[in-house]
Amino acid sequence: MLVGAFACAHTPQLLARPETEDRELVLRVHAAFARVKQRLEALRPDAIAVIAGDHIEAFFLNAVPALAVYVGAECAGTFGRYRYRFPIHEPLARALVEAGIERGFDLVYTQDAPLDYAFYVPLHFTMPAPSVPLVPLHINVYLPPQPTPKRCYEWGRALGEILDSRSERVVLMASGGMSHFPGTDRYASPAFDYDRRLLDLLSAGRGHELAAVTAEELDRAGNIELRTWITLLGAVGDAKADPYCYEPSWHHGNAVVEWPVGEASL
Amino acid sequence: MNVTAHYRFPPASAYRLNRCLFAIKSDAAFRSRFRADPRAAAREMGLGEAESAALLDGNRDALVAHGAHPYLVFMADLRLRMEREAMTFEYF
Repeated sequence: MLVGAFACAHTPQLLARPETEDRELVLRVHAAFARVKQRLEALRPDAIAVIAGDHIEAFFLNAVPALAVYVGAECAGTFGRYRYRFPIHEPLARALVEAGIERGFDLVYTQDAPLDYAFYVPLHFTMPAPSVPLVPLHINVYLPPQPTPKRCYEWGRALGEILDSRSERVVLMASGGMSHFPGTDRYASPAFDYDRRLLDLLSAGRGHELAAVTAEELDRAGNIELRTWITLLGAVGDAKADPYCYEPSWHHGNAVVEWPVGEASL
Repeated sequence: MNVTAHYRFPPASAYRLNRCLFAIKSDAAFRSRFRADPRAAAREMGLGEAESAALLDGNRDALVAHGAHPYLVFMADLRLRMEREAMTFEYF
């Protein structure tokens, strides 16, 4: 069953801060991550299913899956001086692939792919103790044509239904967002107003409206990674978002959000 | 997706260039070879002259004009700068 839902920024500058980054801002995002960790400790999940956009790391141009599930025994990756290794909740990962395929989603699965900071940055700060196995879920966000927001929402709805049919307590965590434009002329001018309107809409429980946004709109607003959030929204329906923080840095709208679901919404 | 999008379909003509940027970003052994001898590393990846020149100059606009993916340009450059300039970080 789905017992919790969160979205977390994953900018690597939150983990390894260069001098270009405002230290106080970084610490405020860390404080929001600490709240997520406390919630995870209270929710006692059996697995955390992390929905992340691939930063052209797990997959290159030899194969660009729109939607993929990592079904290895464990996952590993590095960032700077950090070496990460997490066990996978293999029965759940396998069940998501099988039930997803059964429902008509032509999922790719992999047992061998390096995972990147989209997975590790939020988990570095939010992984509860004792640690919880993962199910990494990939969405293609950087290599057009990406899956449509509508398709992401539908995959999320299917995920929610599949999870609710399972006995494990599962937390969904969407990694990424909000507005940023790495590698482009707009790097230093994200669309913060777009982000704020989006957070208002999510706080009003109108998340389903995001299933209708276009790929062009997401690209224009620096929100191609919002596909991970939209996938999560398919699972949480119109639960009202509880934003823990929105911290716009000079290049990135950093948000941490919870959607109270299950017992938390009662 | 139109031609004014920030992130566009990577043209097949830019495959070698994108593969080279991906290797700089994600393959530490290749990155070392690139730092030691960028021309030889670019040749190893089969880049054309104009692509090599753009890469060696670190000219983002020229690379993107050749079909390089902006995120790969960004991260390849960052990884190189982290090593070359020994950027200092506060690790949390």
